[in-house]
Amino acid sequence: MHLTTLILSSSLILVIAILIYPLLTTLNPNPQDQKWAITHVKTSVKAAFLMSLLPLMIFLDQGTETIITNWHWMNTAPFDINISFKFDHYSIIFTPIALYVTWSILEFASWYMHSDPLMNRFFKYLLLFLVAMILLVSANNMFQLFIGWEGVGIMSFLLIGWWYGRADANTAALQAVLYNRVGDIGLIMAMAWLAMNLNSWEIQQIFFLSKNFDMTLPLIGLILAATGKSAQFGLHPWLPSAMEGPTPVSALLHSSTMVVAGIFLLIRLHPLMENNNIALTTCLCLGALTTLFTAACALTQNDIKKIVAFSTSSQLGLMMVTIGLNQPQLAFLHICTHAFFKAMLFLCSGSIIHSLNDEQDIRKMGGLQNLMPMTSTCLTIGSLALTGTPFLAGFFSKDAIIEALNTSHLNAWALILTLIATSFTAVYSFRVVYFVTMGTPRFLPLSPINENNPSVINPIKRLAWGSIIAGLIITSNFLPSKTPIMSMPLTLKLAALLVTIIGLLTALELTAMTNKQFKITPTIPLHHFSNMLGYFPAIIHRLTPKLNLSLGQSIATQLIDQTWFEATGPKGVSSLQVKMAKTVSDAQQGMIKTYLTIFLLTTTIAILLTMI
Amino acid sequence: MTPVHFSFSSAFILGLMGLTFHRTHLLSALLCLEGMMLSLFIALALWTLQFEMTGFSAAPMLLLAFSACEASAGLALLVATARTHGTDRLQNLNLLQC
Repeated sequence: MHLTTLILSSSLILVIAILIYPLLTTLNPNPQDQKWAITHVKTSVKAAFLMSLLPLMIFLDQGTETIITNWHWMNTAPFDINISFKFDHYSIIFTPIALYVTWSILEFASWYMHSDPLMNRFFKYLLLFLVAMILLVSANNMFQLFIGWEGVGIMSFLLIGWWYGRADANTAALQAVLYNRVGDIGLIMAMAWLAMNLNSWEIQQIFFLSKNFDMTLPLIGLILAATGKSAQFGLHPWLPSAMEGPTPVSALLHSSTMVVAGIFLLIRLHPLMENNNIALTTCLCLGALTTLFTAACALTQNDIKKIVAFSTSSQLGLMMVTIGLNQPQLAFLHICTHAFFKAMLFLCSGSIIHSLNDEQDIRKMGGLQNLMPMTSTCLTIGSLALTGTPFLAGFFSKDAIIEALNTSHLNAWALILTLIATSFTAVYSFRVVYFVTMGTPRFLPLSPINENNPSVINPIKRLAWGSIIAGLIITSNFLPSKTPIMSMPLTLKLAALLVTIIGLLTALELTAMTNKQFKITPTIPLHHFSNMLGYFPAIIHRLTPKLNLSLGQSIATQLIDQTWFEATGPKGVSSLQVKMAKTVSDAQQGMIKTYLTIFLLTTTIAILLTMI
Repeated sequence: MTPVHFSFSSAFILGLMGLTFHRTHLLSALLCLEGMMLSLFIALALWTLQFEMTGFSAAPMLLLAFSACEASAGLALLVATARTHGTDRLQNLNLLQC
């Protein structure tokens, strides 16, 4: 067999096997030792990362993509379901990146969670999540993708509710599950449609046969699934609430890997959407709305993790816009670069939170530039990468997206919203950096500020290197399949940069005003709108359940109990019968024996008459 | 008339007379009713065999099922009577007599 394909396939299967091995060691009845999390889980992820570089290099050199079909699993009546892995351009690049980020996060988590007695279980959950995510991105059929999809959803639930003694954490975990479930309805509808009409769940067959069909209905289902999983507007409140989980969970799940699963689904199934204008417009407008709304909400938040969560949501909206522009590869590029700097932002937040003795409010931080130089530097690097500073990682993807948006024949409204959201990105990023690192300290004097542990610094440094050079490496090595438009007016070319600089200057002006109050009782309805997340959770989480429950109660009481059971049911029947019986029995006198004797006499006479 | 015909016909007529001329207990009327049903069952079964109409083979079973329902209804009435009047003697059932 040809050496290239042999190495490629075997190393990819080995990556998955390396990741599954620590999970199998938990199955034996002897308890693991204290260091199991570090010796088994972290080293397996590191080994899997190094192993996955091999397929990446082969792909870079020769462009080999592979589909590995292992096992005929089951047979539903019309078609077969196999275990089948598709390692194409997207999953071969995404897997090493996910493993690299996870390796850094696990190393960080060994410091962050070291005082937790259930740390081994925490690492096991993270590893299980990672396996589900790898299954999702490498799935070649919808069934395997669904397994990965549900797996990441459930692990998200378990990890958000890690500190389950806290009522808010339980609520947040339940909220995540419910919103994801609404999205899953869309995915299941799409899968059912595909099974019924295209008679297969294999991606290759779907691509071939979809040219003959009108794919609007399954595409709407897939967009709904992406809305749920990737927190687009309408199903977005679970993402900021998911910050109740520990910081490594937020870094891994809710910034780099799980929330991009919805976007990844749309990228993987993009050939279905290329010609369907309804789906593309939906993606575009939904993404633009999401990115602006969540960026606006991020402007006035005071919890550092919530700001980063809204920033994630805003970038996810941007990815959705890119898909709506028919540019799946740019969206994928943004997924890859976003993973680095967003995970790093979360790790820096985690380091700051632990150092300030679990303080998460940015109004009570400050002046950390001199006290935690490495963390605050990397926070600044991550924020700069996020805003699209030229030649850092975020620039290559974000600028390319904004250029594509500017030069396409599409919706001007979506364009304006995206540009405003880009300027908001600069504003809230600057706000974080200003409140956390600049100025004078506003925290308690006896804070255990210590970033000297290599388990903290090395992951953050690794991700910082990734945030700086990942964009360059990825764009210089992979050819785009759609030619980007290279020539445009200077203003359009610099649009993203200009808008970002305008946002930054506005933010700088506003910070100069933080110690001045112009009115005694300021009227700030816009601030309230942004701080209360657009009143979306307050309305949807209270009004809709109340209406549904009161409707249910009135059905149960008035319709069933009072109407069916009393007025028309048994009691109604009995009251009707009693009236009729009273009327009829008035005519009877009750001389039964006489009546029966006359009956017998009549029968006898009739018989005798017929015999004569 | 063959002896078998005579036997169930006479069973039926005797049951009917017992039903109409019942004197003291309601229960005896119900028993006669059951006897009538039994004779009808035999009649239907013999009808099927005599005329070799296999399609009617189910008719006796149906009759049996319905007579069971009717007997249970009659017994329920008996129990209700015993509850309200204390006995099933017929001279007590004279509430509606003028």
